[in-house]
Amino acid sequence: MTYKSQSIAYPYFVLALLLFALQVLMGLWLASNYFTTVPQSVVNVFPFATARAMHTNLLVLWLLLGFMGATFYLVPEETGTELAWPKMAIAQLALLAATGVTALVGFFFGWTKGRPLLEIPFPLNLLIVVGALMFLANVAVTMFRAKRWTAVQGSLLGGLVFLALMYLFGVPFYRNAAEDWYYWWWVIHLWVEGAWELITAALTAFVLIKLTGVDRKVVEKWLYVELGLFLFTGIAGTGHHYYWLGAPKYWLWVGGVFSALEPFPILLMLVDTWRDVRHRSQPVRPRLTWVYLVGMVILHFIGAGLFGFAHTLPQINYYTHGSQVTLSHGHLAFFGAYVLMNLTFFYFAIPRIKGYPDGTYDERTGHLGFWLMSLGVVGMGLGFGVAGVLQTYLERIQGQPYMLAQQPIRFWMLVVALHGLLVLVGALLAIRHLLTLKPARPGQA
Amino acid sequence: MSHAIAKWIFWVGTLVSLGLFLALTVDTRGQFAALTHADKLDDHVVAGKRAFQARNCNDCHTILGFGAYYAPDLTRVVARMGEDSIRRRLEHPEVAFADSYRKMPQQHLGQQEIEDIVAYLRWVGNIDNHDWPPQDSPNRWKRSTERVMAGAALSPAAALVQQENCLSCHTLGGSGESKGPRFEWIGARRDAAYIARYLADPEKVAPGAQMPSFESLSQEQREMIGEFIVSLAAQGR
Repeated sequence: MTYKSQSIAYPYFVLALLLFALQVLMGLWLASNYFTTVPQSVVNVFPFATARAMHTNLLVLWLLLGFMGATFYLVPEETGTELAWPKMAIAQLALLAATGVTALVGFFFGWTKGRPLLEIPFPLNLLIVVGALMFLANVAVTMFRAKRWTAVQGSLLGGLVFLALMYLFGVPFYRNAAEDWYYWWWVIHLWVEGAWELITAALTAFVLIKLTGVDRKVVEKWLYVELGLFLFTGIAGTGHHYYWLGAPKYWLWVGGVFSALEPFPILLMLVDTWRDVRHRSQPVRPRLTWVYLVGMVILHFIGAGLFGFAHTLPQINYYTHGSQVTLSHGHLAFFGAYVLMNLTFFYFAIPRIKGYPDGTYDERTGHLGFWLMSLGVVGMGLGFGVAGVLQTYLERIQGQPYMLAQQPIRFWMLVVALHGLLVLVGALLAIRHLLTLKPARPGQA
Repeated sequence: MSHAIAKWIFWVGTLVSLGLFLALTVDTRGQFAALTHADKLDDHVVAGKRAFQARNCNDCHTILGFGAYYAPDLTRVVARMGEDSIRRRLEHPEVAFADSYRKMPQQHLGQQEIEDIVAYLRWVGNIDNHDWPPQDSPNRWKRSTERVMAGAALSPAAALVQQENCLSCHTLGGSGESKGPRFEWIGARRDAAYIARYLADPEKVAPGAQMPSFESLSQEQREMIGEFIVSLAAQGR
């Protein structure tokens, strides 16, 4: 760490990690709702819907806090200046944390907007917008004052502005349900297959430059190509959500063709990372950070690219849309792309914030955390996948009523929950490891 | 590849996709009114949408395939099980799902709220969305039922269904009304004995049901109707 204000990232990381633990716990509860029978008295007070709102909002909240922390770490180093307003960054964290906690408690008491993933009620939306403006102002002013533009900065700032803009489409109430979902996807899809990919690409490029010592020019050249392909396939690819909501039929063509191309930029990111790792001018140290980095690009490609492609064509999607197949893709993609991106960055930044030489640290228990988590999520993805294929066949092809077709799925949700336990243990190990990181033992590095 | 070409790929890729997307968005907005029958989208329906959101229904159910996957899709729920069945579930989920391994929360909805939600679901069910979902596709219902009916139309049970005017509340294939559940759906979930019991005294089997009793029929006739309805269960549609 070269700049003092970079350390502002740390409290962001800490809060993100604590919320991550809560999110996984809530996920286990949700899975248990599938294979057990929750009594009516419990369902009346704490229905599946409430827990699901918490699970998904915790995910979004902690990933965004992680991105923000990572941005605060990256920007001073890229611009070669201190952050414009370090104190405002702390105030912003306090505001967003308070808003997030209020939202979660509110869900429990039925205070919700009732739109999946965007349940946070209107007054809290406004607070989030204030927090986002504080964040963007801080980052943009730092960059514009420094005037040392790099592709990494541009991509990051572009992604963050894009992210904030799209959030606004999720705020109003829409009278028409079809129109409602049309713009709902401007938030959800254009986040995860647009803005967040820009941020991830920028963060990955930054970490690669620092970790491998590969020439910045090479990394940034390929960053442009990645971004171009991400946006080319991702923006019009939004159409793969418009097949069955009451939109014109041409979306079947547009969504099908563009989203079929969506795996390519992710594959390019995988290839670029692989090439940079091979041409490294620095030793693979600390090993765990590299494991996370490579694990991320591989699982990002499998979860988002391959599992997304598997059900993106309209001919297949007609049968799989709105089934457990979506969960399989969703969990693998979010974990591979964004959970691992955040954790990679945490492992990269925290030792540097703490001032350990060469960014090394004591790696014990960290590896176990990675493998338990990753294998657990892959197992969950496969379990959801079997459940989804069963549901698709029994309900949509055979014509069995929903609850009848759900019977055989209950077993596979138990399989999912057991893998979820692995994820929980792995995540707790990783979180504890990150929060109590120690310098490398003598002779280890 | 040079740096300049990489930049070109970025700008051309982004702007082409963005331009196409925005142009199609303008066109789609123009077509929504017709595709969603926006003329029928009155305040009653909108109140139903608000209630649907306020009760967070969408974090268990899907609608138009979006939402959580814990409970059945609601896009064509009116065509599937009829308005009366929906009202009963909204009013007393603890009764309707007493035997189910998955429960729905009792949220103490008011009568007006229930009617609004039903109006909303009725409106959603008429959105022209390219015949999704497959499990509730009217075209498929019609096709599978026509196959069965080809052999059963002359059966005594079919004559009874006609004589007792069942289709003035229920749907079968492409005909009938959506007050009660459609026959194919009942047939897939229940056995003949259950249906016969239900016909004899609906109130006893499903408290709060609107269906009249068919005590006037003989036990044998009721069982015949039960077997007929079970034979309509959609298979390999």
